[in-house]
Amino acid sequence: MTDSDFSPTPLRTRFRDYWGSIRTIYGKELKSYLFTPFGWVVLACIMALQSFSLHATLQMMQAGPVSEGILFYMLDNQTFWFYFLFMFPLITMRTFAEEERLGTLEGLLTAPVTTGQVVLGKYAAAFTFYMLLWLPLLLYPWLSEVANLWTEMRFGDVPGMALEYRLADWLGAFLILFLVGAWFLSLGLLCSAMTRSQIIAGILTIGTLITYYFLGRVTALWGEFPAAPAFHYISCYEQIDAFSRGMIDTRPAVLYVTLTVLTLAFTQRIVDYRRWRR
Amino acid sequence: MSGMAAAEHLSKNFGRAAAVNDVSFEIRKGEIVGFLGPNGAGKTTTMKMLTGYLPPSAGTASIAGFDIIDHPLEARRHMGYMPENVPLYDDMRVMEYLFFRSRLKGLRGNEMRRNVGDCVEQCGLDRVRRKMIRTLSKGYRQRVGLADALLGSPDLLILDEPTNGLDPNQIRQIRELIRELAAEHTVILSTHILSEVEMICNKVIIIDQGVIKANDTPFNLTRGLRTAGRLSIEFKGDLDEVMREIAALPVVRKVLHEKSTSDGWHTLMVRAEAGTDTREHAASIVTAHGFPLRHVYRHIPSLEDVFVEMTRRD
Repeated sequence: MTDSDFSPTPLRTRFRDYWGSIRTIYGKELKSYLFTPFGWVVLACIMALQSFSLHATLQMMQAGPVSEGILFYMLDNQTFWFYFLFMFPLITMRTFAEEERLGTLEGLLTAPVTTGQVVLGKYAAAFTFYMLLWLPLLLYPWLSEVANLWTEMRFGDVPGMALEYRLADWLGAFLILFLVGAWFLSLGLLCSAMTRSQIIAGILTIGTLITYYFLGRVTALWGEFPAAPAFHYISCYEQIDAFSRGMIDTRPAVLYVTLTVLTLAFTQRIVDYRRWRR
Repeated sequence: MSGMAAAEHLSKNFGRAAAVNDVSFEIRKGEIVGFLGPNGAGKTTTMKMLTGYLPPSAGTASIAGFDIIDHPLEARRHMGYMPENVPLYDDMRVMEYLFFRSRLKGLRGNEMRRNVGDCVEQCGLDRVRRKMIRTLSKGYRQRVGLADALLGSPDLLILDEPTNGLDPNQIRQIRELIRELAAEHTVILSTHILSEVEMICNKVIIIDQGVIKANDTPFNLTRGLRTAGRLSIEFKGDLDEVMREIAALPVVRKVLHEKSTSDGWHTLMVRAEAGTDTREHAASIVTAHGFPLRHVYRHIPSLEDVFVEMTRRD
């Protein structure tokens, strides 16, 4: 057989096959998040920490009038950064490192799928799981609605007593969480592809994320200086603040989507490179 | 390229060390090829290159006519691969794993269910279909790996040490299974167990230090061996006389006195040309003198002899 014997497969079939393989890997990965204790432990930890944020927020609101909605204070909070940054290594550290340690990567990459499909499938599953982790946050507007109703029944319509929340806050908050998360997850995937040890992958991820977080805080520590706008631009801290105030901006969207695509492409190269090198 | 698989000048360097050096061979449809070599000879590396998992440093390989570098996906569609030590996902159930793998291999719907069912039956996995892979015994893991390789009925099966670490009964079962598979598939398998190759393979490739030392049928390999015409003879009587007369036979190269017992039995080792049988002549020499004869044995060369001879380091 030579190359000329190939009859080109119709584009539609090729497209279907391409996404079909990604979906297969996606399904398997998502199952391993949801049908093992792992996923539920992560979810439980995050909800526990979120409840601390909520508690702190409500106490502050009791103490005096505040200018922003409840969500802003929940995300502009020390506890938030604790669990937020640690989520990513937890979600992604297994992805490639574990496959390589077990040797199952060999089976995966000798099946008729490309490395790109494997990366995309795993990434999509990690992202889906990440989105699921934020679903409980949607409970809070509902809870505040209930609380408002109760207050109104008890005290009547007293201005300043109702918990304020705006749709834009929620939209913005979820948008920025997904945007920042998209890139952080791809970074985690990259770190996992670089090593066969989950622990090292996790440490690498959290190290990178903490560094990135502090780059965004440089202006808070050093004040304004000529290069400061660059630091403002990449500050996920400031972005989350702005978005959860309802100020939705397209620049971070461009930044994180671009970075995510680049990092995923790089991940694919790394997976192949580690094979080529050995 | 009419073969099922072909390696053309494959080389692989790890740093400055050459693991595989200019290896070429061709495997035709229907053959069962045994891949032999000492540990670290480059068997696994060669197989990994053949599957396209490890890219070769030089040269190329093809599966069913598809180049593993230019058309990797097509090539992979035509082969089933069982890696060394059978890596599997421990937290999946057997059927779940096989369905996952068959979907990866592009099977869908009823075709997939039928195919997985067939493989499960063929590999005797019925009893463990719902078990977690983590809880399986080594023998069952091996079968799951084999079933995985069989999914999608690929033309070529590449099995890296399929019987490694199994007990004799399990080895026998896997061997039977491979023999059954050979009816419909071309098989390449690597192993240390030489008797296994002798029993099931119709072609042997011996590799040592990254170089192919032999590539032939087991019969041809053993026939050409130095030890092929070797004879042992044990008798009682005049040692020198018999030695002289046997040495005078036309095909005999050398006669060695191996040992003598205290009660007068002598053992001779006769080296003759490969493929000859001098038992009759040697025996008649002894009996013509009226000496008692109690043992004549023609050494049947085994693959083990071939293997030792080809890969010996001294």
